[in-house]
Amino acid sequence: MSRDALLAKIDHANAGRGDMDVKAAADALIAEPDRFRVTFNDQPLYDRFVEKATSETVTATVETLDALADVPAAVAAYMAARDLGNRIALQPRESLTALDWSAFETAATAQMNEVLALTFADAAIAETGSLVFRTGPDAPVLLNFLPLHHLAVVRRSAILPHMEDVFDHFGTSAADQPRSLNIITGTSGTADIEAKNVRGAHGPRFMHIYCLSG
Amino acid sequence: MKQTSHQFTQNVTRALAEPTLKIALDRTTTLLRTRRAKVIDAFEEYAEARATAQKIKDHTLDNLGHYLRQFEENAIASGAQVYWAETPQQARTVVTEICRAEGAKSATRVKSMLGEEIGIGEALADAGVERVETDLAEHIIQLAGDPPSHIVMPAMHKTQEQVAELFAKKHKDPSTEQDVTSLVSSARRELRPKFMNADISISGANFLIADTGSFVTVTNEGNAELTTTPPKTHIVTVGIEKMVPSLKHAAVFLRLLSRAAIGTEITQYTTFFNGPKREGDRDGPENLHIILVDNHRSDMLSDFLRPMLRCIRCGACMNHCPVYSAVGGHAYGAVYPGPMGSVLTPAMTGIEGSKDLPNACTLNGRCKEVCPVNIPLPDMLRSLRARQFEKGMPSGMTKWGLRVWAALATRPALYRLATAASNVALRGMARGRGKITTVPLAAGWTGSRDLPQPEPGTFMQQYKKGRR
Repeated sequence: MSRDALLAKIDHANAGRGDMDVKAAADALIAEPDRFRVTFNDQPLYDRFVEKATSETVTATVETLDALADVPAAVAAYMAARDLGNRIALQPRESLTALDWSAFETAATAQMNEVLALTFADAAIAETGSLVFRTGPDAPVLLNFLPLHHLAVVRRSAILPHMEDVFDHFGTSAADQPRSLNIITGTSGTADIEAKNVRGAHGPRFMHIYCLSG
Repeated sequence: MKQTSHQFTQNVTRALAEPTLKIALDRTTTLLRTRRAKVIDAFEEYAEARATAQKIKDHTLDNLGHYLRQFEENAIASGAQVYWAETPQQARTVVTEICRAEGAKSATRVKSMLGEEIGIGEALADAGVERVETDLAEHIIQLAGDPPSHIVMPAMHKTQEQVAELFAKKHKDPSTEQDVTSLVSSARRELRPKFMNADISISGANFLIADTGSFVTVTNEGNAELTTTPPKTHIVTVGIEKMVPSLKHAAVFLRLLSRAAIGTEITQYTTFFNGPKREGDRDGPENLHIILVDNHRSDMLSDFLRPMLRCIRCGACMNHCPVYSAVGGHAYGAVYPGPMGSVLTPAMTGIEGSKDLPNACTLNGRCKEVCPVNIPLPDMLRSLRARQFEKGMPSGMTKWGLRVWAALATRPALYRLATAASNVALRGMARGRGKITTVPLAAGWTGSRDLPQPEPGTFMQQYKKGRR
């Protein structure tokens, strides 16, 4: 059966059911999102984000920094505390590469057994403690997935309340979409053996977030 | 997989005699139910979210032709190639042809139920491609040579001890410890090189977004992104019912899916994909193929089974089903087990080869209660039974039994006499031990469990004495 025959069969089965203005009907169903999503009116976005990101199920850690320029020193401290050497996979994004990395050995792509990568998140979601990454020439996918330690920088002002706000912020049309929009909530986990939660299944086992107050 | 639903009774007998299966099922389903209850209780807006999700699915199904055309147009504009397959065979042919054209030798795969449904393993084998399952549970059952036993946790039937033994035997560099963390590390070491070196990646999709042409995957392991990024070609096989109108509509379902499935607010990784690698991108597939699969979904649209097309494959119905919890997924002998499977299997493969499935249900209603899109599973199972009866399918023994029961139930005096007599007989068989281990003609019941000793007197006798 060809495409056309299948669509004709579906249209026939739906005869008399469809909406005249499909988009208006679809939009009406989600016109009042606060009725069907978690609300946290009194809690500041930053507090909510940190609470969720560091919760038992998300398992990230959060550190506040005053400025982007403070990131290399913070990364050096993180690595020294865990004896991780000085090689980092660094997202080739100008805001990061422009910093002083002279004390490190940096690479723009992650190797198969990369120990640590640092990437810049485009936004964060307070509702769930998630980070949002939009891919592009300066933001490859694998840097967020291959390393054992994923370090991410996010601006406090980029914390949005809900996933819907991320869509509104970057645009909801087909043309607005990056090749890949990765919403990452903590570390890679699995519960596939007797439903016991374990971290570091395939992706990062540790996630550390630098939240820039500026 | 080879369907064995026609021998459900034998499958159940075998499952009930398997002591480790009971342990594995108890450990896992209990944890999943507890976690779900906790996270749903904390979601004050849950009832409204569930009602909204149902409305969105119903709206999308009502306008499915419109949304499929819109999705196709946007997906093609993003650079993807879109195929339509009415049958599993057609879908497999497309997969095989793509693999052959690429000269592919190995394919990494992210588990999807649609892939199981169409027999993706067979399609890859036909193309001479090595298949590497990357979801941890799928990796376990691939090594064990088992079919999946649950739609979210395919290795639910395996205990930790069994997995340890399996990895020790099959992994190149197995961990020496047998705790779950060490087992997971062993699989991580084994699969890393496979991710990086595959020619093809295969995934399903949890949602299709009509107005952007995106598709969405959710995982906790991160294996969807690790699987689909390095290989040159990414093939997506997806059922046409996975459609939602827009990104914001998908958000409604993302709040429900992981809560219902595993009791968390969101999965660790939620990714929206739009087309192949773009100019300047340092990673991502060069080719993206999306195969839209029907396999009787369009038949279900004009049938009483239509609400089943709302299903988002969370698995909550099976985690809460007393039959599933006792016999496990393999007994159902089909791709989809549990309550949703007992509806889908007859719809997709015919009622004749799966006649026991709609009857393997106590109609307790838990599955509908926990369903995040309010699918009336018990009603549909009852309707399937009625359909079987209309086709004259119940056995002579069943019909005879129903006639005897009807004769008793319509004669109250006789009914009371019969129940009083059986009460005395059963108490005699219990011999004061509190339980009955064998009952004549009911070995099917007592073979795997004891019948409790009845109280003295029937309900009516006790009621008349004023005892409650």
